[in-house]
Order: sequence, then C-alpha cells, then structure tokens
Amino acid sequence: MTVQGWIFAGAGAVALFGALLAVGLRNIFHNILGFALAMLGVAGVFASLGSDFLAAVFVLVYVGAVAIAMVYAVMLSHPLDLPHRPRKGWKIAGAAALAAGVAAALWSMVRRARWLDLAPGGDAGAARTGARLLTDYVLAFELVSVLLVVAMMGAVMVARQRRPGRGAW
Amino acid sequence: MSLPLVLGVATALFGIGLYGLLQRRSLVAMLIALELMLAAISINVVALTTFTGHDPSMGQVVVLIFVGVAAAEVAIALSLFVAIHRSAHDIDVEHLSELKG
Repeated sequence: MTVQGWIFAGAGAVALFGALLAVGLRNIFHNILGFALAMLGVAGVFASLGSDFLAAVFVLVYVGAVAIAMVYAVMLSHPLDLPHRPRKGWKIAGAAALAAGVAAALWSMVRRARWLDLAPGGDAGAARTGARLLTDYVLAFELVSVLLVVAMMGAVMVARQRRPGRGAW
Repeated sequence: MSLPLVLGVATALFGIGLYGLLQRRSLVAMLIALELMLAAISINVVALTTFTGHDPSMGQVVVLIFVGVAAAEVAIALSLFVAIHRSAHDIDVEHLSELKG
C-alpha cells in the first residue's frame, strides 16, 4: 500500500468514527466534538486525494463553525442534568433501517458501475484551483460572496429581538 | 486506494448522516448530521474528478462553492433556531407542532 493509501485508511476510519460519535451520543457537546473529529478525518481524506488546499479549508471553516456551534448548543440544548425524555424504539429502528437501505442502494450502484481504473492524476494544487476560481468560475465565486452577505443580513434580521413599540427596527 | 473504496467511505458517511438526521430530535444535532451528509458529497465530487481523468482542480472549485453555500445555510439555520427557541423555549422537533393540522 502506498503512503497515500495509508493516509486514506487512517483518515477514513477517523471520519467514520467521528461521524458515529456525532450522531450516536446523547450529549450534544460530545456530538459537536465528534463532528469536529469527523471533519478532521474528511480533511485527511482530501489530503490523501491530493487536494491539500481543500483539506486546509475544511479544517479552517469547520473548526471555526464548530466553535460557534458549541456556544449555540450549550445555550439552546435541553439541560443535561434533567432526565432525558423517553423515546420510541420503533422510531430509532425505522431511522436506522431507512439510512441503511439508502446506503446499501448507493453502495450497490457503486459496485455495479464500471469505473475507469485510472490513478489519481493532474494538477490539484492551490495555484491552479485559485486561477480557475478567478477565471472560468468567477461568476459562481462572486455569487457565493453575494449569497453569504444576504445570508448574514438575513440571519441578523431573523435572530434579532423585536421589542414592542419600537417599530419594525 | 481505488475509486470504489473512496466512494464506499463517502457512502458510509452519508448513511450515518442520514441516520442522525432522521433519529435526532434536537435541531442543532440534526444540523450536524446534515453537515456530515454534505461532507460525504464533497468527498464524492473530489474523488470522481481525481480518479476519472478530469481536471482535479474543477472538483475543488465545486467543493469550495459547496463550503460557501453550506456556511450561508448554517448561518440562516442557527438564527432560525434562536428565533424558534425564543418563541417556543425548546428546539426539540417533536414539540414544534403548532402548525400540525
């Protein structure tokens, strides 16, 4: 196995383990830490595929997002010292069955397709990605920045506290 | 390392995320599961452009746009959760049933 193969195996295992922690544990704080671990694993998978820049972006963006999400989770979640409300077993079983069915269907599609068996190739460097982003895909790049501005303004509008008697603003 | 192996990891990640989205009751936990599914899709895009002889930088551009759109989505979702928590004092989806007929 090549070096990339070992990195991929380790990173994939970390990603799946983190994902299981992120959805399986009851404590929302542990979920968020598991999510950070999963995103670290996904960044490792990108690095093993030769996309170093994307790996760095995932670590930066999702570690930042995780820090914010932790504040929200602690602020909004059901208090941990109170007893958990009981839940119906058939709902968990149904969710597991549906998710397993979808994953099995996708996996059978992957197995049945005849893939070109090519080794990873081409220039996946940050310089080429950046050049692409600012030439061929510049419209999409600018639209994403407009979308982010609109989303931030919308988030402020939705979340701000409206006090009676002071108008819409 | 081969293409079906990478796609298999992405499929497993997608399945775990789907399970979390269906099974969790807290909106924040459901958002985390949704982000896991988005990460699985990003792995697919990068793997397919890397292994099938296309230009790998194209897949990276697509995933960077995914990340930007996902950031906008998280911002909107978290502000909605704050607004919901302010009016209903809970973010448990089984309690948010005021519009149920």
